[in-house]
Amino acid sequence: MTTILVVDDEPQIRRALRTSLEAHGYTVQTAGTGEEAVVAAAEASPDLMFLDLGLPDLDGTEVIKRVRSFSEVPVIVLSVRDRQADKVAALDAGADDYVAKPFGMEEVLARMRAQLRRAQPEETGPAVLRFGDLQVDLARRLVTLAGTPVHLTKTEYALLEAFVTNAGKLLTHQWLLRKVWGRGYGEESQYLRVYVRALRRKLGDRAAAPELILTEPGVGYRWIAERSEPPN
Amino acid sequence: MKRVLRIVRSPWLRGAVTAAGAPAAATLLASSFHGGDASAVSIYILAVVAATAVGGLWAGLAAAVFSFLGLNFFFTPPEHTFRVSKPEDLIALIVFLVVAVIVGSLLSRALEGRNRAARREREARLLNYFASKLLSGEPLQRMLDDFANALLEPFSLARCEIHVRADDVTLDGSAERAGAAEGVSVPVPLLVGKAELGTLVAVRRAGLEAPQDDDRALLDACAKQVALAVERTRLDKQVEGARLEAETNQLRAAMFSSVTHDLRTPLVSIKAGVTTLLDEGVTLHADQRRELLRTILEETDRLNRLVGNILDLARVRAGALVPAKQPTAIDEVIESVLHRMKPALSRVRVRTAVRPDLPEVPVDPVQIDQVLSNLLENAARFTPPGGEILLSAAPWQRSVRVRVADQGPADERDRVFEPFFRRDAGEARTGSGLGLAIARAVVLAHGGRIWIEGSPSGGTAVVFELPVADAQPVRQEPSG
Repeated sequence: MTTILVVDDEPQIRRALRTSLEAHGYTVQTAGTGEEAVVAAAEASPDLMFLDLGLPDLDGTEVIKRVRSFSEVPVIVLSVRDRQADKVAALDAGADDYVAKPFGMEEVLARMRAQLRRAQPEETGPAVLRFGDLQVDLARRLVTLAGTPVHLTKTEYALLEAFVTNAGKLLTHQWLLRKVWGRGYGEESQYLRVYVRALRRKLGDRAAAPELILTEPGVGYRWIAERSEPPN
Repeated sequence: MKRVLRIVRSPWLRGAVTAAGAPAAATLLASSFHGGDASAVSIYILAVVAATAVGGLWAGLAAAVFSFLGLNFFFTPPEHTFRVSKPEDLIALIVFLVVAVIVGSLLSRALEGRNRAARREREARLLNYFASKLLSGEPLQRMLDDFANALLEPFSLARCEIHVRADDVTLDGSAERAGAAEGVSVPVPLLVGKAELGTLVAVRRAGLEAPQDDDRALLDACAKQVALAVERTRLDKQVEGARLEAETNQLRAAMFSSVTHDLRTPLVSIKAGVTTLLDEGVTLHADQRRELLRTILEETDRLNRLVGNILDLARVRAGALVPAKQPTAIDEVIESVLHRMKPALSRVRVRTAVRPDLPEVPVDPVQIDQVLSNLLENAARFTPPGGEILLSAAPWQRSVRVRVADQGPADERDRVFEPFFRRDAGEARTGSGLGLAIARAVVLAHGGRIWIEGSPSGGTAVVFELPVADAQPVRQEPSG
């Protein structure tokens, strides 16, 4: 049984999320204030937490910091468009992803699934990942597009690997730079742009209508392609 | 004579000198002629005339008495005494005195009349100048300087200063005559009714007294004109303020009705759709259900964009539209906007032409996202179903230029950036007209520019540029 903690001070939003999530078979706990949220995160041990940043008592980032002091539960922030700075601060404080209000449920569910996948890793992840025509063989470091091998540089491959093993998750510039280029990097978002562009070109993804990599301007990237089941 | 007059500035001294001097000179002149009584009489008359002309009435009368005595003493036998031997001489002397007094007083009255006329003319000219200035509508600062300058000559001033210290106007005007030594300083209050709006300080040239009588009255009249000019400027300001307020109220009313209408329109669609879906007495085909649900979704997104615009408008008005700038790749913003607006743009084709060598620009990605969303929404509104929108971005000099071209009409190009203005598109008349006004405000806040172009194929394009180097925001009135 997967338990989701929904933290929002608006009862209507709590109700909408509860109804929708319960319909998808999740157990839902709710909290209306930051203090309640911290208590619930400790007592109910949820598998995932939705956190509204505009709570009446505590600052959203403060809630994340307190929760992070005892739990690694994935946190998805619910934020309105005009509070970009809060959103980025929340990610820096340890939130894992965000959904812009007003949100569509399919978006919420997709983000949630991506985070739950991370929280419960498959013991041995499949060695070969498929996304439509694209196939990434992690063990042999081979990439093929509709059967044709794609030649990637070492950095391009490292970037692709970071994307496909974290499918659906928001990957911030900083996270990607540290993961691919190593510690000591974190501000050089223009490197990322160059490599993401190269990767897209080689994988046949168009920026105007992306099917693999989606840009979150000012924040990071997200691998949006759904995994296809291996043909057995 | 002139030099003497210039030295002898005091009218009293001048009168005394001429009253004594003219008869003395006449005595010398008449003695040198040896012409006899008749010529001496005419010369003394001349002296009285001269004394009156130079020294005025009292100098003339004094000269007449001195002349009478001189005539008696020097030219009436027995000479060198004040005695008169013949009765007819006494009569002649008395007649002379009477004639001299009459001539002197007549002359002085005539001269005074002429002087008064000249002064009246000068006053009239001065006041006329002030009045015409008052109506000229020139800036007050310039008027004050001109006023000060105009007073220099008529009042023999070395310097003139005008200090305006009204509660809402503080200004200083001044003029001075180069090299003139300064004498007595005369402050004149600038009064309108009982309110004192400031002070006029007239500094006379060295050696002159403060203006008296007529001159002082004229100076006061001039100060009055200055005060009126100040008052007029204040009233103009108040009228302007009231007009602005009225316009703002009008705009507010327009905004209120526009926003109310635009907020309600999507709500109507949403509510109609939801109640249809909830109605158990209606059997809906699966396609119809989907269509209704898609409408609800689109209208919800539209409502969301509208609320975003209203928030931004509130920020513009509060002067709080401050971009949180960070190096941003415009192509990424374009990509994100197109992805998000896919449902709203489903009825048109969007073609993109983004140059791969776009430099990063220091912008607020969320605000530029809103600009692009607004421009695309606006373009979609004026594009017939199946029509095309061309979105292009390219480096241009020291900036990145983005162009959104649609196939709508290109008329009334300037007004479309005003809040609540809409190109009349008949049935497609939706949207609050806020979008372009917000786009403009945001682009200006980033130090960029935005404008409308006709496109060669007959459509309209909105173009904006964002500077690559961090730029100062373009000053903008809190519009709308």
